[in-house]
Amino acid sequence: MVRRCRDGDVKAFDQLVVRYQKPVFNAAFRMLRNPEDARDVAQTVFLKVFEHLEQYDLNLKFYSWIYRITLNESINALGRLRPSEAISGNEIDQSPGLEQQMENQQMSRAIEQALMRIQPDHRAVIVLRHFLHLGYQDMGNILELPEKTVKSRLYTARQMLRDVLVEDGVC
Amino acid sequence: MTEPAFLELIHASIDGELDEHQRAELASHLLANPESRALRDGLKDVCAALEGMVAAEPPQQLRASILAALPAMAARPQPARRAVRWSAPAWRHAAAFAGALIAGTVLYEARVSHSPDATEVSGTMAGSGTRTPDIVDTVRLDRGPVEGRVSLYRSAAGFGLELELVASAPVDVLVAGGAQKLRISGLGLPGSPGGPRMMVALPGVGTGGQTVGLTFLVAGREVGAATLSVPAGR
Repeated sequence: MVRRCRDGDVKAFDQLVVRYQKPVFNAAFRMLRNPEDARDVAQTVFLKVFEHLEQYDLNLKFYSWIYRITLNESINALGRLRPSEAISGNEIDQSPGLEQQMENQQMSRAIEQALMRIQPDHRAVIVLRHFLHLGYQDMGNILELPEKTVKSRLYTARQMLRDVLVEDGVC
Repeated sequence: MTEPAFLELIHASIDGELDEHQRAELASHLLANPESRALRDGLKDVCAALEGMVAAEPPQQLRASILAALPAMAARPQPARRAVRWSAPAWRHAAAFAGALIAGTVLYEARVSHSPDATEVSGTMAGSGTRTPDIVDTVRLDRGPVEGRVSLYRSAAGFGLELELVASAPVDVLVAGGAQKLRISGLGLPGSPGGPRMMVALPGVGTGGQTVGLTFLVAGREVGAATLSVPAGR
Protein backbone atom coordinates (compact mmCIF):
# COMPACT_ATOMS: atom_id res chain seq x y z
CA MET A 1 0.00 0.00 0.00
CA VAL A 2 2.83 2.38 0.88
CA ARG A 3 4.58 1.58 -2.38
CA ARG A 4 1.41 2.42 -4.27
CA CYS A 5 1.12 5.71 -2.35
CA ARG A 6 4.67 6.51 -3.35
CA ASP A 7 3.66 5.99 -6.93
CA GLY A 8 0.96 8.62 -6.52
CA ASP A 9 -1.97 6.24 -6.14
CA VAL A 10 -4.67 8.38 -4.46
CA LYS A 11 -6.83 5.34 -3.66
CA ALA A 12 -3.94 3.73 -1.82
CA PHE A 13 -3.36 6.90 0.18
CA ASP A 14 -7.05 7.00 1.03
CA GLN A 15 -6.78 3.44 2.34
CA LEU A 16 -3.80 4.49 4.40
CA VAL A 17 -5.86 7.30 5.92
CA VAL A 18 -8.76 4.94 6.65
CA ARG A 19 -6.41 2.45 8.27
CA TYR A 20 -4.47 4.87 10.44
CA GLN A 21 -6.75 7.84 11.13
CA LYS A 22 -8.14 6.33 14.32
CA PRO A 23 -4.85 5.47 16.07
CA VAL A 24 -3.24 8.70 14.87
CA PHE A 25 -6.17 10.81 16.07
CA ASN A 26 -6.30 8.88 19.33
CA ALA A 27 -2.63 9.31 20.07
CA ALA A 28 -2.87 13.04 19.36
CA PHE A 29 -6.04 13.33 21.43
CA ARG A 30 -4.43 11.62 24.42
CA MET A 31 -1.38 13.86 24.10
CA LEU A 32 -3.39 17.09 23.77
CA ARG A 33 -6.79 16.31 25.31
CA ASN A 34 -8.51 18.57 22.86
CA PRO A 35 -10.38 17.06 19.88
CA GLU A 36 -9.87 20.06 17.63
CA ASP A 37 -6.13 20.19 18.22
CA ALA A 38 -5.98 16.42 17.78
CA ARG A 39 -7.78 16.72 14.44
CA ASP A 40 -5.33 19.42 13.29
CA VAL A 41 -2.38 17.29 14.34
CA ALA A 42 -3.83 14.23 12.57
CA GLN A 43 -4.24 16.23 9.39
CA THR A 44 -0.68 17.54 9.61
CA VAL A 45 0.61 14.01 10.23
CA PHE A 46 -0.97 12.65 7.07
CA LEU A 47 0.24 15.59 5.01
CA LYS A 48 3.75 15.04 6.33
CA VAL A 49 3.50 11.34 5.57
CA PHE A 50 2.50 12.18 2.04
CA GLU A 51 5.24 14.78 1.61
CA HIS A 52 7.97 12.54 3.00
CA LEU A 53 6.92 9.16 1.64
CA GLU A 54 9.94 9.20 -0.65
CA GLN A 55 12.18 9.29 2.42
CA TYR A 56 10.38 6.48 4.22
CA ASP A 57 12.51 3.36 4.50
CA LEU A 58 10.35 0.47 3.34
CA ASN A 59 12.30 -1.89 5.59
CA LEU A 60 10.91 -0.14 8.66
CA LYS A 61 7.44 -0.74 10.02
CA PHE A 62 5.13 1.90 8.65
CA TYR A 63 3.19 2.29 11.88
CA SER A 64 6.41 3.06 13.79
CA TRP A 65 7.09 5.85 11.36
CA ILE A 66 3.62 7.38 11.38
CA TYR A 67 3.33 7.16 15.19
CA ARG A 68 6.70 8.85 15.54
CA ILE A 69 5.46 11.72 13.38
CA THR A 70 2.25 11.84 15.42
CA LEU A 71 4.05 12.16 18.73
CA ASN A 72 6.46 14.77 17.40
CA GLU A 73 3.62 16.82 15.95
CA SER A 74 1.64 16.54 19.18
CA ILE A 75 4.59 17.72 21.23
CA ASN A 76 5.12 20.60 18.78
CA ALA A 77 1.44 21.51 19.11
CA LEU A 78 1.71 21.48 22.90
CA GLY A 79 4.49 24.04 22.62
CA ARG A 80 2.33 26.29 20.45
CA LEU A 81 -0.78 26.10 22.63
CA ARG A 82 -1.34 28.50 25.48
CA PRO A 83 -1.96 26.62 28.74
CA SER A 84 -5.58 27.82 28.84
CA GLU A 85 -6.16 26.33 25.40
CA ALA A 86 -4.54 23.02 26.14
CA ILE A 87 -7.03 21.81 28.71
CA SER A 88 -10.66 22.55 29.11
CA GLY A 89 -12.80 20.46 31.44
CA ASN A 90 -15.87 20.38 29.21
CA GLU A 91 -14.38 19.32 25.92
CA ILE A 92 -14.90 15.62 26.47
CA ASP A 93 -18.62 16.05 27.04
CA GLN A 94 -18.97 18.08 23.88
CA SER A 95 -17.61 15.29 21.69
CA PRO A 96 -20.59 13.08 20.96
CA GLY A 97 -19.99 9.42 21.73
CA LEU A 98 -16.41 9.98 22.72
CA GLU A 99 -16.62 8.76 26.28
CA GLN A 100 -20.08 7.22 26.26
CA GLN A 101 -19.01 3.67 26.80
CA MET A 102 -16.73 4.27 29.72
CA GLU A 103 -17.29 1.93 32.59
CA ASN A 104 -15.97 4.45 35.03
CA GLN A 105 -16.29 7.93 33.66
CA GLN A 106 -15.01 9.62 36.76
CA MET A 107 -11.82 7.58 36.84
CA SER A 108 -11.26 8.09 33.11
CA ARG A 109 -11.63 11.82 33.47
CA ALA A 110 -9.30 11.85 36.45
CA ILE A 111 -6.74 9.91 34.41
CA GLU A 112 -7.08 12.30 31.48
CA GLN A 113 -6.46 15.24 33.76
CA ALA A 114 -3.56 13.48 35.45
CA LEU A 115 -2.02 12.65 32.06
CA MET A 116 -1.94 16.35 31.23
CA ARG A 117 -0.02 17.03 34.43
CA ILE A 118 2.92 14.80 33.60
CA GLN A 119 5.68 15.72 31.16
CA PRO A 120 4.90 15.15 27.45
CA ASP A 121 7.82 12.71 27.19
CA HIS A 122 6.27 10.59 29.90
CA ARG A 123 2.79 11.01 28.49
CA ALA A 124 4.07 9.76 25.15
CA VAL A 125 5.18 6.40 26.55
CA ILE A 126 1.80 5.96 28.24
CA VAL A 127 0.08 6.71 24.94
CA LEU A 128 2.23 4.22 23.03
CA ARG A 129 1.85 1.46 25.58
CA HIS A 130 -1.68 1.83 26.86
CA PHE A 131 -3.56 3.47 24.00
CA LEU A 132 -1.71 2.16 20.95
CA HIS A 133 -0.91 -1.16 22.66
CA LEU A 134 2.67 -1.35 21.41
CA GLY A 135 5.47 -3.51 22.74
CA TYR A 136 8.75 -2.15 24.11
CA GLN A 137 10.67 -2.81 20.91
CA ASP A 138 8.22 -0.83 18.79
CA MET A 139 8.16 1.92 21.40
CA GLY A 140 11.94 2.06 21.27
CA ASN A 141 11.89 2.34 17.49
CA ILE A 142 9.36 5.14 17.59
CA LEU A 143 11.08 7.11 20.33
CA GLU A 144 14.55 6.21 19.06
CA LEU A 145 15.50 4.99 22.50
CA PRO A 146 16.90 1.70 23.79
CA GLU A 147 14.27 -0.69 25.17
CA LYS A 148 15.72 -0.38 28.65
CA THR A 149 15.23 3.38 28.62
CA VAL A 150 11.69 2.96 27.31
CA LYS A 151 10.85 0.61 30.16
CA SER A 152 12.33 2.87 32.77
CA ARG A 153 10.49 5.88 31.33
CA LEU A 154 7.22 3.97 31.24
CA TYR A 155 7.63 2.85 34.84
CA THR A 156 8.37 6.42 35.92
CA ALA A 157 5.38 7.70 33.94
CA ARG A 158 2.99 5.23 35.57
CA GLN A 159 4.36 6.12 38.95
CA MET A 160 3.92 9.84 38.28
CA LEU A 161 0.39 9.23 37.08
CA ARG A 162 -0.42 7.32 40.23
CA ASP A 163 1.17 10.02 42.40
CA VAL A 164 -0.99 12.69 40.73
CA LEU A 165 -4.10 10.56 41.23
CA VAL A 166 -3.21 9.99 44.89
CA GLU A 167 -2.64 13.72 45.28
CA ASP A 168 -6.08 14.35 43.77
CA GLY A 169 -7.62 11.83 46.13
CA VAL A 170 -8.66 9.51 43.31
CA CYS A 171 -6.49 6.52 44.28
CA MET B 1 9.97 2.37 50.23
CA THR B 2 10.02 -0.27 47.51
CA GLU B 3 13.50 -1.06 46.20
CA PRO B 4 14.09 -0.26 42.52
CA ALA B 5 14.65 -3.92 41.64
CA PHE B 6 11.25 -4.88 43.04
CA LEU B 7 9.64 -1.83 41.52
CA GLU B 8 10.82 -3.08 38.16
CA LEU B 9 9.40 -6.52 38.91
CA ILE B 10 6.06 -4.96 39.87
CA HIS B 11 5.82 -3.11 36.56
CA ALA B 12 6.96 -6.17 34.62
CA SER B 13 4.31 -8.26 36.38
CA ILE B 14 1.63 -5.75 35.35
CA ASP B 15 2.86 -6.09 31.76
CA GLY B 16 2.79 -9.90 32.09
CA GLU B 17 6.50 -10.19 31.43
CA LEU B 18 7.75 -12.17 34.42
CA ASP B 19 9.14 -15.66 34.23
CA GLU B 20 8.33 -18.23 36.88
CA HIS B 21 11.39 -17.45 38.97
CA GLN B 22 10.73 -13.71 38.94
CA ARG B 23 7.08 -14.29 39.80
CA ALA B 24 8.07 -16.31 42.84
CA GLU B 25 10.61 -13.68 43.86
CA LEU B 26 8.03 -10.91 43.62
CA ALA B 27 5.37 -12.94 45.41
CA SER B 28 7.56 -13.51 48.44
CA HIS B 29 8.56 -9.84 48.47
CA LEU B 30 4.94 -8.71 48.34
CA LEU B 31 4.00 -11.11 51.09
CA ALA B 32 6.53 -9.53 53.41
CA ASN B 33 6.03 -5.89 52.34
CA PRO B 34 2.54 -4.42 52.63
CA GLU B 35 3.83 -1.10 51.28
CA SER B 36 4.96 -2.76 48.06
CA ARG B 37 1.67 -4.60 47.90
CA ALA B 38 -0.26 -1.35 48.11
CA LEU B 39 1.97 0.18 45.45
CA ARG B 40 1.43 -2.82 43.16
CA ASP B 41 -2.34 -2.63 43.67
CA GLY B 42 -2.36 1.11 42.97
CA LEU B 43 -0.32 0.74 39.78
CA LYS B 44 -2.50 -2.15 38.65
CA ASP B 45 -5.60 0.01 39.14
CA VAL B 46 -4.05 2.85 37.13
CA CYS B 47 -3.10 0.51 34.28
CA ALA B 48 -6.52 -1.15 34.32
CA ALA B 49 -8.17 2.27 34.13
CA LEU B 50 -5.89 3.27 31.24
CA GLU B 51 -6.78 0.08 29.38
CA GLY B 52 -10.45 0.66 30.05
CA MET B 53 -10.53 4.06 28.40
CA VAL B 54 -12.53 4.10 25.21
CA ALA B 55 -10.69 5.00 22.02
CA ALA B 56 -11.65 8.42 20.71
CA GLU B 57 -13.38 8.32 17.34
CA PRO B 58 -11.84 10.66 14.77
CA PRO B 59 -14.19 13.33 13.38
CA GLN B 60 -16.11 12.14 10.34
CA GLN B 61 -14.69 14.90 8.15
CA LEU B 62 -11.06 14.09 8.98
CA ARG B 63 -10.54 11.72 6.08
CA ALA B 64 -12.12 14.09 3.57
CA SER B 65 -10.19 17.08 4.87
CA ILE B 66 -6.90 15.20 4.60
CA LEU B 67 -7.58 14.15 1.04
CA ALA B 68 -8.75 17.64 0.15
CA ALA B 69 -5.47 19.03 1.43
CA LEU B 70 -3.51 16.97 -1.07
CA PRO B 71 -4.08 18.90 -4.29
CA ALA B 72 -0.66 18.07 -5.59
CA MET B 73 -1.20 14.37 -5.27
CA ALA B 74 -3.64 13.97 -8.12
CA ALA B 75 -1.28 16.00 -10.27
CA ARG B 76 1.59 13.65 -9.58
CA PRO B 77 2.59 11.72 -12.66
CA GLN B 78 1.19 8.23 -12.41
CA PRO B 79 3.81 5.69 -13.40
CA ALA B 80 2.91 3.49 -16.30
CA ARG B 81 1.41 0.40 -14.78
CA ARG B 82 3.26 -2.62 -16.01
CA ALA B 83 1.10 -5.61 -16.63
CA VAL B 84 2.86 -8.42 -14.86
CA ARG B 85 2.01 -11.80 -16.26
CA TRP B 86 3.47 -14.60 -14.28
CA SER B 87 4.80 -17.46 -16.26
CA ALA B 88 3.48 -20.75 -14.90
CA PRO B 89 6.72 -21.88 -13.16
CA ALA B 90 7.36 -18.41 -11.75
CA TRP B 91 3.79 -18.23 -10.48
CA ARG B 92 4.20 -21.59 -8.79
CA HIS B 93 7.41 -20.44 -7.09
CA ALA B 94 5.75 -17.25 -5.91
CA ALA B 95 2.74 -19.16 -4.63
CA ALA B 96 4.95 -21.65 -2.82
CA PHE B 97 6.92 -18.82 -1.25
CA ALA B 98 3.76 -17.02 -0.17
CA GLY B 99 2.37 -20.26 1.22
CA ALA B 100 5.54 -20.90 3.19
CA LEU B 101 5.49 -17.36 4.51
CA ILE B 102 1.91 -17.64 5.71
CA ALA B 103 2.36 -21.15 7.09
CA GLY B 104 5.32 -19.83 9.03
CA THR B 105 3.00 -17.55 10.95
CA VAL B 106 0.64 -20.31 11.96
CA LEU B 107 1.73 -22.72 14.63
CA TYR B 108 -0.36 -25.48 16.07
CA GLU B 109 0.25 -26.33 19.68
CA ALA B 110 -1.20 -29.78 19.69
CA ARG B 111 -3.04 -30.49 22.89
CA VAL B 112 -4.40 -33.88 21.96
CA SER B 113 -5.42 -35.70 25.08
CA HIS B 114 -4.00 -39.07 24.03
CA SER B 115 -0.67 -37.51 23.09
CA PRO B 116 0.92 -36.10 26.23
CA ASP B 117 3.91 -34.52 24.49
CA ALA B 118 3.03 -31.13 23.10
CA THR B 119 4.24 -30.80 19.55
CA GLU B 120 4.35 -27.93 17.14
CA VAL B 121 3.61 -28.45 13.49
CA SER B 122 3.12 -26.01 10.69
CA GLY B 123 -0.47 -25.09 10.12
CA THR B 124 -2.10 -25.26 6.75
CA MET B 125 -4.09 -22.68 4.92
CA ALA B 126 -7.65 -23.60 4.18
CA GLY B 127 -8.08 -25.04 0.74
CA SER B 128 -9.28 -22.51 -1.78
CA GLY B 129 -11.77 -24.63 -3.59
CA THR B 130 -14.14 -23.32 -6.18
CA ARG B 131 -17.14 -23.60 -3.86
CA THR B 132 -17.91 -20.69 -1.60
CA PRO B 133 -17.47 -21.67 2.05
CA ASP B 134 -20.63 -21.75 4.12
CA ILE B 135 -20.35 -19.27 7.02
CA VAL B 136 -21.82 -20.88 10.12
CA ASP B 137 -21.00 -18.27 12.76
CA THR B 138 -19.46 -14.80 12.82
CA VAL B 139 -18.25 -12.45 15.49
CA ARG B 140 -17.78 -8.75 14.74
CA LEU B 141 -15.24 -6.62 16.55
CA ASP B 142 -16.16 -2.98 16.27
CA ARG B 143 -14.76 -1.44 19.45
CA GLY B 144 -11.36 -1.54 21.02
CA PRO B 145 -7.85 -1.97 19.64
CA VAL B 146 -8.82 -4.73 17.19
CA GLU B 147 -11.61 -4.32 14.67
CA GLY B 148 -13.05 -6.48 11.93
CA ARG B 149 -14.63 -9.89 12.02
CA VAL B 150 -13.89 -13.56 12.48
CA SER B 151 -16.08 -16.19 10.86
CA LEU B 152 -16.32 -19.91 11.29
CA TYR B 153 -16.96 -21.51 7.92
CA ARG B 154 -17.59 -24.93 6.55
CA SER B 155 -16.22 -26.05 3.20
CA ALA B 156 -15.81 -29.38 1.46
CA ALA B 157 -12.47 -29.73 3.26
CA GLY B 158 -13.99 -29.18 6.71
CA PHE B 159 -14.29 -26.29 9.13
CA GLY B 160 -12.05 -23.26 9.17
CA LEU B 161 -11.70 -19.68 10.29
CA GLU B 162 -11.76 -16.57 8.16
CA LEU B 163 -10.16 -13.62 9.92
CA GLU B 164 -10.39 -10.05 8.70
CA LEU B 165 -8.79 -7.83 11.29
CA VAL B 166 -7.61 -4.25 11.39
CA ALA B 167 -5.48 -2.91 14.20
CA SER B 168 -2.92 -0.26 14.96
CA ALA B 169 -0.38 -2.89 16.05
CA PRO B 170 0.18 -6.55 15.11
CA VAL B 171 -2.47 -8.91 16.50
CA ASP B 172 -1.98 -12.52 17.58
CA VAL B 173 -5.04 -14.73 17.81
CA LEU B 174 -5.16 -17.80 20.02
CA VAL B 175 -7.69 -20.30 18.77
CA ALA B 176 -8.92 -23.16 20.97
CA GLY B 177 -11.17 -25.62 19.18
CA GLY B 178 -11.68 -29.31 19.76
CA ALA B 179 -8.51 -30.75 21.24
CA GLN B 180 -6.21 -28.26 19.59
CA LYS B 181 -4.77 -24.87 20.23
CA LEU B 182 -3.59 -22.65 17.42
CA ARG B 183 -1.73 -19.38 17.41
CA ILE B 184 -1.98 -17.04 14.41
CA SER B 185 0.57 -14.25 14.54
CA GLY B 186 0.97 -10.85 13.01
CA LEU B 187 -2.52 -10.08 11.74
CA GLY B 188 -4.24 -6.77 11.29
CA LEU B 189 -1.68 -4.63 9.52
CA PRO B 190 -0.96 -4.01 5.86
CA GLY B 191 2.32 -5.66 5.04
CA SER B 192 2.17 -8.05 7.97
CA PRO B 193 2.62 -11.73 7.02
CA GLY B 194 -1.04 -12.52 7.62
CA GLY B 195 -2.27 -9.24 6.20
CA PRO B 196 -5.72 -8.04 7.11
CA ARG B 197 -7.45 -11.24 5.89
CA MET B 198 -6.57 -14.84 6.46
CA MET B 199 -8.24 -18.25 6.22
CA VAL B 200 -7.10 -21.10 8.41
CA ALA B 201 -8.33 -24.68 8.43
CA LEU B 202 -9.45 -26.19 11.74
CA PRO B 203 -9.06 -29.92 11.26
CA GLY B 204 -10.12 -30.76 14.84
CA VAL B 205 -13.48 -29.04 14.61
CA GLY B 206 -16.60 -30.55 13.16
CA THR B 207 -19.05 -31.77 15.75
CA GLY B 208 -22.35 -29.93 16.15
CA GLY B 209 -22.45 -27.77 19.27
CA GLN B 210 -18.65 -27.58 19.43
CA THR B 211 -17.21 -24.16 20.26
CA VAL B 212 -14.09 -22.36 19.08
CA GLY B 213 -12.57 -19.93 21.57
CA LEU B 214 -10.68 -16.89 20.29
CA THR B 215 -8.32 -14.74 22.32
CA PHE B 216 -6.92 -11.56 20.77
CA LEU B 217 -3.47 -10.42 21.88
CA VAL B 218 -1.67 -7.16 21.15
CA ALA B 219 1.94 -6.83 22.29
CA GLY B 220 1.49 -10.13 24.13
CA ARG B 221 -1.44 -8.85 26.17
CA GLU B 222 -5.00 -10.05 25.92
CA VAL B 223 -7.23 -7.32 24.49
CA GLY B 224 -10.36 -9.33 23.79
CA ALA B 225 -12.00 -12.72 23.50
CA ALA B 226 -14.88 -14.29 21.60
CA THR B 227 -16.48 -17.66 21.00
CA LEU B 228 -17.79 -19.16 17.78
CA SER B 229 -20.06 -22.22 17.68
CA VAL B 230 -20.71 -25.02 15.25
CA PRO B 231 -24.51 -25.21 15.07
CA ALA B 232 -26.04 -28.42 16.36
CA GLY B 233 -26.80 -30.91 13.61
CA ARG B 234 -23.79 -29.99 11.44
